[in-house]
Amino acid sequence: MNVVRLEWLRLWRTYRLLVLLVVFAFFGLLGPLTAAYLPEIVGLATQSEGLEAAVDLPEPVPTDGIVQYIGNISQLGLIVVAAIAAQALAIDFTPGLAAFYRTRQPSPRSWLVPRGAATTLAAGAAWTLGLLAAVYETVLLIGPLPPGATVLGWALWVVYLGFAVAVVALCAALARSKVAVIALSVGLLLAIALVGVVPQIGDWLPSHLVGAPAALVAQDATGSDFVAAAVVTVVATGAALLGAIHLMGRREL
Amino acid sequence: MAAEQTTILRTRGLVRQYGPHAGVLGVDLEVPRGSVYGLVGPNGAGKTTLLGLLTGLRRPDSGSIELDVERRHIGLVPDVPEFERWLTASEVVTLSASLVGTSASDARVADELARVGLADVADRRVGGFSRGMTQRLSLAAASVVDPELVLLDEPSSALDPGGRAAVLDLIAEWAQRATVILSSHILADVQRVADVVGILRAGELVYQGRVQTLLDRYLQPTWQVRVRGDAHALRARLEAADWVEGCDELGPGRLRVRSRTVEDGERGIVAAAAGVDARVLSIQPEEADLEAAFLMLTRAEQAGSTQEAP
Repeated sequence: MNVVRLEWLRLWRTYRLLVLLVVFAFFGLLGPLTAAYLPEIVGLATQSEGLEAAVDLPEPVPTDGIVQYIGNISQLGLIVVAAIAAQALAIDFTPGLAAFYRTRQPSPRSWLVPRGAATTLAAGAAWTLGLLAAVYETVLLIGPLPPGATVLGWALWVVYLGFAVAVVALCAALARSKVAVIALSVGLLLAIALVGVVPQIGDWLPSHLVGAPAALVAQDATGSDFVAAAVVTVVATGAALLGAIHLMGRREL
Repeated sequence: MAAEQTTILRTRGLVRQYGPHAGVLGVDLEVPRGSVYGLVGPNGAGKTTLLGLLTGLRRPDSGSIELDVERRHIGLVPDVPEFERWLTASEVVTLSASLVGTSASDARVADELARVGLADVADRRVGGFSRGMTQRLSLAAASVVDPELVLLDEPSSALDPGGRAAVLDLIAEWAQRATVILSSHILADVQRVADVVGILRAGELVYQGRVQTLLDRYLQPTWQVRVRGDAHALRARLEAADWVEGCDELGPGRLRVRSRTVEDGERGIVAAAAGVDARVLSIQPEEADLEAAFLMLTRAEQAGSTQEAP
């Protein structure tokens, strides 16, 4: 059984791929819908509360659909990705299974890299599906999006997803349970995002890529604004993976 | 000239300490190639730790491990094996082979599963397997890689008597083409298949050598003798012999004789009976089992380890 088939079966039979696709597609459809009908939704809410005050909301623009989608998946979507990556990468918490792999493939690289790559591909596919849904609905309900900026934003998020999975791999080598791996990974990604609020530092951090699709389609930024963050993210991804391989190689069962 | 038996695995002063009396404390293991080596000891004696060190799943604090076999040719059957729950039994066996860089044909996989009694469930996902079935699957997964050295940690602990017998048959079969280290607390199993035994107590190897030597050394050979004729005269003659450690009359014409060595008893009882007016009806050796020897050995206050060249 080759590694591609093994990782495909892992994603398919455990329903992990399905969960990722459903979650991202759901938010992809929900984002533009809420953006397009926000004035109506707010109006209905104020009526039901018996409020007389009129809420003056600007007309939705195409960017709003993407912003809504990104806003949702950058929180819930990333938690789902972290949970699914932890299931695949944190094998040492199932000692019998770890013994099965570790006695046959002593280097953690042998299983960490394909599992990380498969999880990134699955998350990337889910992100793509969600984005396609968001773009389709945005075009349908609000208006057209710039294709080049949309594609560039898509690519930068794929890079960020790879980083997120590498962070989970590193946490799998540090933490002592799967729940701890998920909590530590999400905490670390959140901490990086918080540090990213500082303007001079933020432009260099992986978290800068999270807002890239929205900023690019809104034409608030250009591709060159994300080069530094993308390079740092790729380097950090490699470093996190190497760190995970090194630490897992030293870990005992 | 007999071929010299080589050593496939040797440890020197192997130490992995978890506390003053826990872990493995200076073990010098010597496993002859082609043997079935029984590793026995009470709970907490360090058997699983030692197997973990030998397979590289744990690292020693000090000491060395010399292996005359590539790591990928070592098969481990852990005490609680686990597999990906979403794979079928045949996929697990196929995966086991591919992980060490070999491939197993469908026929080979089916054969391995049939040998452990899992042919009927080859296409079932292992998440629904009982512990016994998972343990059998672990044996098939180890066997398919054609290991030169197999380490079995309590391989029959979750099996029914039929399953245990099948495992012992499999070990006997393995012994034709590989070296087997069998860790078990079921000493009858170890006695049935092992040529060499190592006894661990509180992390120390207190005996290492041939099973028969252990039995000879730590158990007093005892026979029940039935005679027709003058049993009293035979008893008196036996008690006078310097190789007899004791002789009791169990009933009319029935004696229990304890001798210094097995050979003394086998030669001496018949000779003694021939010298008196007694006809021997039967000489039945009382069973000398590993369990009794193990208890004798582990209860005894040992100053140092007791070893013989395997």
